[in-house]
Amino acid sequence: MSTPNIDLEELEKQKKQNFIERLHFIDMYVEWLKKTPNKEWSAQQKKIIDK
Amino acid sequence: MDFNYSENCISIQDKVLSKLDQFTIDFTEKLEKFSKYVIVSGYISILFGRNRTSEDIDIIVEKQSFQNFKSFWNYIEKDYECINSNDPNEAYHNYLMEESALRFARKSSFIPNVEFKYPKTSLDEWTLVKRKKIVLNQYILYISPLELQIPFKLFLGSEKDIEDALHLYKIFQKYINHSLFEEFIRKLNTEELFNTYLK
Repeated sequence: MSTPNIDLEELEKQKKQNFIERLHFIDMYVEWLKKTPNKEWSAQQKKIIDK
Repeated sequence: MDFNYSENCISIQDKVLSKLDQFTIDFTEKLEKFSKYVIVSGYISILFGRNRTSEDIDIIVEKQSFQNFKSFWNYIEKDYECINSNDPNEAYHNYLMEESALRFARKSSFIPNVEFKYPKTSLDEWTLVKRKKIVLNQYILYISPLELQIPFKLFLGSEKDIEDALHLYKIFQKYINHSLFEEFIRKLNTEELFNTYLK
């Protein structure tokens, strides 16, 4: 099977869109963080960091 | 997230500590006995809830005499090793005094590690002088002032750095000194990034 043609412009656009979506996610995450007790958010964070 | 914020201190209680928190606390508690230090890395955003980890904790340490550095080295060598060199004389003279960083990790491990460096720029010196005290449960840490940390993350400019900057800004925007913050945004030439991603 031959490799596909790559549209670099399209990929760049997608990369930019992904970044914008991650920034929106951070906005939402911080809103959740602000109203969540330290014990709760940090226990979830620990699970990810200590993996 | 509950915290108490004042000009010189942020207190955060009841945090369930990750291994990265424990590593940072343990190393800096030992370091503080010998030298003034300030944490300047992405760990600051992790400390305040960012869901990512880091391979290293960047720390700027006030310049020490060789004797003081050697005493620190002897004090930690039971638990930590220097990745760059096993000779304190070489580590001090060939790395630190040549403006290169050392890396310290727990014995027999590589990650996480502390990137240990002396101040190189006037910004590094300012950060050390103006370091902010963090009371984390019963422990003390010192971090770079957020008024500099956030613009500096924008200055670094990778997607990860911009995400860290946004995370910290959204949490602390009501608390930081805005005139100082704007001064650093301007001096680091990050107005456009700030307007695009943080506003």
